[in-house]
Formats: sequence, structure tokens, C-alpha cells
Amino acid sequence: MAVAVAHDPSSGSGQAHGVDRLYAETRELRINGFLLFMVSDLVLFSSFIFAYLYLRQTGQGWPPPGISRLDVAFAAFNSVVLFGSGATMHFALENWKHGNFNKYAGWMLATIVLGAGFLSGQGYEYWTLYTKFHASWSGAGIFGASFFTLTGMHGFHVFMGICYLTILFLQTVGGVYTKQKYAGLTMGTLYWHFVDIIWVFLFSMFYLWQ
Amino acid sequence: MAVAELHGGGIAEHVHPEPHGFIRKYIFSIDHKIIGLQYMITAFIFLVMGGMLAELIRVQLMSPHGTLVSNDTFDELYSVHGSTMVWLVIIPMLTGAFGNFVFPVQIGARDVAFPWLNMASFWMFPPAGLMLYGSFLMGAPTAGWTEYPPMSLQGAPGTSMWCAAIFLIGVSSTLTGINFLVTLLRMRAPGMTLTRMPLFCWAQLATAPLLMIATTALGAALAALFIERQFGVPFYDPTRGGSPLLWQHMFWFYSHPAVYIMILPAFGMISEIIPTFARKPIFGYRMIAFSSVAIALLGFMVWAHHMFTSGLSPALQLAFMLLTMTIAIPTGIKIFSWVATLWGGKIHFTTAMLFATGFIVTFTIGGLTGVYLAAVPFDLHAHGTYFIVAHLHYVLVGGSLMGIFAGMYFWFPKMTGRFMNETLGKWHFWLFMIGFNGTFIPMHWIGLLGQPRRVATYDPQFWSSNFAASLFSFIMTFAILLFFVNALWSIRRGKPAGHNPWGARTLEWQIPSPMPYYNFKKVPMVFASPYHFSDPLPYRGLEGELDPSVPAPVPAGHH
Repeated sequence: MAVAVAHDPSSGSGQAHGVDRLYAETRELRINGFLLFMVSDLVLFSSFIFAYLYLRQTGQGWPPPGISRLDVAFAAFNSVVLFGSGATMHFALENWKHGNFNKYAGWMLATIVLGAGFLSGQGYEYWTLYTKFHASWSGAGIFGASFFTLTGMHGFHVFMGICYLTILFLQTVGGVYTKQKYAGLTMGTLYWHFVDIIWVFLFSMFYLWQ
Repeated sequence: MAVAELHGGGIAEHVHPEPHGFIRKYIFSIDHKIIGLQYMITAFIFLVMGGMLAELIRVQLMSPHGTLVSNDTFDELYSVHGSTMVWLVIIPMLTGAFGNFVFPVQIGARDVAFPWLNMASFWMFPPAGLMLYGSFLMGAPTAGWTEYPPMSLQGAPGTSMWCAAIFLIGVSSTLTGINFLVTLLRMRAPGMTLTRMPLFCWAQLATAPLLMIATTALGAALAALFIERQFGVPFYDPTRGGSPLLWQHMFWFYSHPAVYIMILPAFGMISEIIPTFARKPIFGYRMIAFSSVAIALLGFMVWAHHMFTSGLSPALQLAFMLLTMTIAIPTGIKIFSWVATLWGGKIHFTTAMLFATGFIVTFTIGGLTGVYLAAVPFDLHAHGTYFIVAHLHYVLVGGSLMGIFAGMYFWFPKMTGRFMNETLGKWHFWLFMIGFNGTFIPMHWIGLLGQPRRVATYDPQFWSSNFAASLFSFIMTFAILLFFVNALWSIRRGKPAGHNPWGARTLEWQIPSPMPYYNFKKVPMVFASPYHFSDPLPYRGLEGELDPSVPAPVPAGHH
């Protein structure tokens, strides 16, 4: 984002560029604040990842008794769905910037559908773990504690992301954003990529390192 | 164009619409000054509640086999006392209250970056406090403010309520940290470069990332404890594969930085008060500013010094011991800079200055025992004894609370337009010093002799020291009561103070008291650091601030 252009204080005007009528938040400030929110969200994930690594290395009960390897192939397919949604989100934002509303709408809806697809895949995986190995959140020792908490937290973020993108989509249909002013879309895209990147770590640490 | 380059976020000229009606003005206000005062009043209410718990503890300990409360109730008392003072008094007071009230004006802004978020942060705070005290109804937490598992896993249902309450206040802290950081980085007035900022702003700049990052880690630890207690998911229970040490790591990864959240803003306040009343430029401005940042960074690397008795490997113990001792360097830089500021100054011992100089003395004592405790062999001996209690109260009461009182006497005229009574203030200071030191000095030696903390009864050989500590604690409580009487009386009856009674030079003193909702009629331009007492004020554009004939600025979108 471009740095806000300051106006000349000598003009005596009370209105700076892009300032909300109601309160003093510019789009740039909102994006700054949103980035910091993502930093603290990253700390939240990092803390649980630390807990997982700590329990796995020092605690008893790893590898999880009674559970054979996690299904890497299925999870890899599901990951491709999620990363694909990151690509479609990128195309959606680019098309918005260039004013192609129809293409934007198509990519945005594709992102939402792919996100929902990832969540369904995760639900299927949880169901398989439960029916085949009786693995549940509280009933599978530190495996349940770390795997279901972290992937569940990530899934919750994906779910919140789908809600967020849906709201953004409705806002764009309603004409809230313009070709020049689209801070909400920028933040939505940042959030969606953030959720993707978290999944890279979770996928490597749970599926590739078994 | 030079102005445009200096301009932070381009929104400094924005003015809120004037709030109308009691509710928009004082209850759901978006004005950082009102929100600051809301934090202040709420935190003082919790100070009274936490103080009453402390006095119950001291009354119980007046005899070796005290019968005031049962052992279990005693556990509840000190657990809720500690949690109250840390999360509901010191942190909200130093960040939410003084942070909100003072620093946006000091950087020449009209509000924080996200005023509505600021209001939301505040309104998470009273419910969190009510939840913490509500836990008494269902059996309050009993494992201390640190709530180590496995004891906290077996605690009464109120322990889960404690988790939720602290989680909520943590969310509030995180949002405040984000808000303050964006404000400090993006909303400074033209010419207010980082190295022209008052030192209180530097202290908030160092504290905000701690609030934002460390508190989130605590949130994770609390969430895991809550999940384990309510849903039986094993994180900490060693019988189910979990690790109680995991909690200690996660808890102290937050709570050691939190120690600096609780002292850095107080350092900042002292750095404003000492030069003002010594009538001298602060000594070592840059070193004080950068040492705050150094303390904040080092604060993330020392958490395991709380765990020397928990079975860390000796190599880790050595590393954490050395890193911990390193923190004494930036802290020492501050202490020596303040002393050097006093040296040769024309010192005015107002009550605020008495508290500021008292802070230097008592905080240094607490800081020194901190260096002792950083040494592994000493810590192995003193861990879990009253020596720890003495140390932490010297830094939190002799440091943070003394800083809060100094700040209260200093900024009270800015809040109300009136002085607090100086005679009562001096009684407050001297009684507080006597009471505070009398309460906590004996704890050093009874701790070294082996009296364990957090136990409702003790060996009769420690009776005389405990009895003396209790008597002195009554003096301290009386001194704090004097403060409340003074503050409540002075709000309406205090001597009118004018806009700048102390001859201070930071921006908040150049506008009327109490400050108008728009802060500045015209956002000033800043030309130099505020601490050069012999020079003219380094601001331009403030001419009309005190002139009632100059109209208030027009809110954006209302003209």
C-alpha cells in the first residue's frame, strides 16, 4: 500500500485523505493493525506448535499407540485444495485491481468453494480417525491433544476465513469497495494466505514427520 | 512539502465529533483520555479489592497458627490477590490508564489509531475482573497466581473461571498493544521523530510489542489448561502423557515479559517526573530510550530462570542465569541516568518527586535481589520462600505502584485541573515508605531462614517478623487510604492548577486542563527533544491552544 499522502496543515481543513467520517482510521492504519493482529495470531499458533513439539519430544505416548500412520496421500490432496484456494484468491484480488468484476467474482467464489472443500476433507479425515482408530480429542493422549487442537484451530481459522471472504464478497457486490480503495480485500487476502502458510507448517510437522 | 514528509499517517488533523450525552461521553466513549480514566478508576477499585485480600493474608499470619481462615481459603486468598494485582491493577493501570491518558497527547495525536477498538479493550476489563471474583462463588483457584498443574488441574471449578477471566483480560491487552504500537509508529505529529519522543512514549513503544506477543502465548497456555480441565484433553497431566513443565514454559514465556510490562511504563513516568522537578535535561536520553527496548528484547530470553528448581539441564540453567544477569545492565543504565539527572539539579520535592526518588531507592533494592535470584545456587536455596515474596513486592509495590502514585500526583492536575493536596500527599508518601519497607524487609530474612510462601501457618520461630510485617502492612494500607481520600477530595476541592503547574515541557502540558476532546486546536510541529529546560519550547502552532477566542476545530465531515 502506498503511504498516505499528507495534506498541507496550513490549508486549515479538518479532513485528511481517506479518513472515515466517524473516526480517525485510514485504510493504511487498518492494514497496519491487521498485520499486527496476524503477528499475534502467529504467536498463538507458535505456542501450540511449541507445546506439540515439547510433548512429542519429552512426554510419553509418541508415536500414538494404536494409530498407524496418518494418511499422507489424502492430506496432500487436501493441501493442494487449500493451496489452490490461495492461488484463486490471488487471481481474485488482481482482477479486482484491474476492474474485471466478473472474473473477480468467479475467482472469489472458487476460493470460497475450495476453502469449504478443504474443511470437508478435514472433517472426513477426523471421521476416519475416529471410526478406524477411535482417536478423539480427549481420548488419544498427547496425539489427540496436539493433532486435534492444532488442526482444529487451523480449521477454525479456515472457517472464519470463509465467513470473512463471504462478507467481503457481499460487500463488493454491494459496492463498498472501489478499484482504488479496497483495504478490506487486501486484508482478506493477507488473512487467507496466512492460513495457507500455517498449514504448510502443520502439514510438514504432522504428516511428513511421522 | 517538508511538512508532508514529516507527517506520520496523514490523519493527525482528524477531529472526532464532539460527544453528546452522558453515555457517549463517559460510558461508551471513544476518547482515549476518558478511556484512560475508566481504566484508572476500575483498576483502583480492584486495587482496593486485592488490598483487602492482602490484609486478610496478613491478619491470618499474625500468629503462627492463625485461625482467621482455613488453609484452603488461604490458598484462594493469595491466588486471587496475586492475579488481581498483576492483571487487574498494575498492567491495566500502566498501559490502559496512564498509557491511554498520556502518550497520544505527548506525540501530538488527537486519539489512538483505533478508538473503537480501544473502547472494546476497556470493556473487556471489568467483566474479566467480575469473572475472577465470581470464581469465589464456585471455589476460587488455589494454586497461586501461577496456577501450576497438576494442582490447578485438581483445583475447584473456579479455576476454569480464572482461566477464562485471564484469557479475556489477555485479549484486551493484546488489542491495546496493537493499538498503541500503530499509534506510536504512525500518528506522531509533524517533526515528532522517534528520538524526539518523550521517554514515556519510548516506554510504551517497548511495552506494546510485549503486550501483543507475550500475552498471546499466555492465551495459548490458558486455553490448553481450560481445555484440559473441561474436556479432559491431556496437555499437562503427567499420568496421561502430558507435561506439567510445559505449562511452566508457556506461562513464564508470557509472565517474564509481563514483569517488564509492569515496570517499563513506570520507568517512563519516572523519566518524565525526575527532569521536570530537577529542572535539568534528562541525562542519557538515548540510553534510557534504547535500554527500554533492550529490556523488552532480553525479557523474551530469560523465562526459565523461574524454573531453576524444576529440573532444567545445568547447561540451560547456566545460559538462563547469564542472560538474566544481563538485564541488570540496561536497568542499571536507567538508574544511573536518573541519579545523574538529579545531580546538580534544582530539585523540588513535590509529592510526585518524592515518589519518583523513593521509586529509585525501593526499585533498586528489588532489582538487586533479582540479581541474587538469577544466580542458580542462590535461587535453589531461596525458591519458594518468602525471599521471593519480598523480591517481587519490592519491584511491584516499591517499583510499579510507587510509579503509579508518582504519576497520579504528577498528572492529576492534567486530569482534573486541580492539584492534589500536598500535605496529605507527603503524609501518604512517608507512611507508605515506612509501612511498605516494614512489611517487606522482614520477609527477606524469614525467607532465607526457610519460611515457605503460600502456607497458612508457620514455625513459631518466625512469629516476631511476621507480626511486625502485619503491623506495618496496616500502616501501608492506611497510607493508601489517605491517597484515596486526597484524590476524591481534590477532584472538586483541590487548588486550581492551571494548564502547566509544574513547568513541564511535554505536549500534554501546553494545552488546557482538563484536556478538550480534540486535544489540539491545531496539530503542532515539533523541532527538538522536550528536555532542554533553558531553551524555548520546541513546538510551533500552539499559540491558540489556551486562547478561548480561538474556536475549536471542526470535526471531519461536519463542515
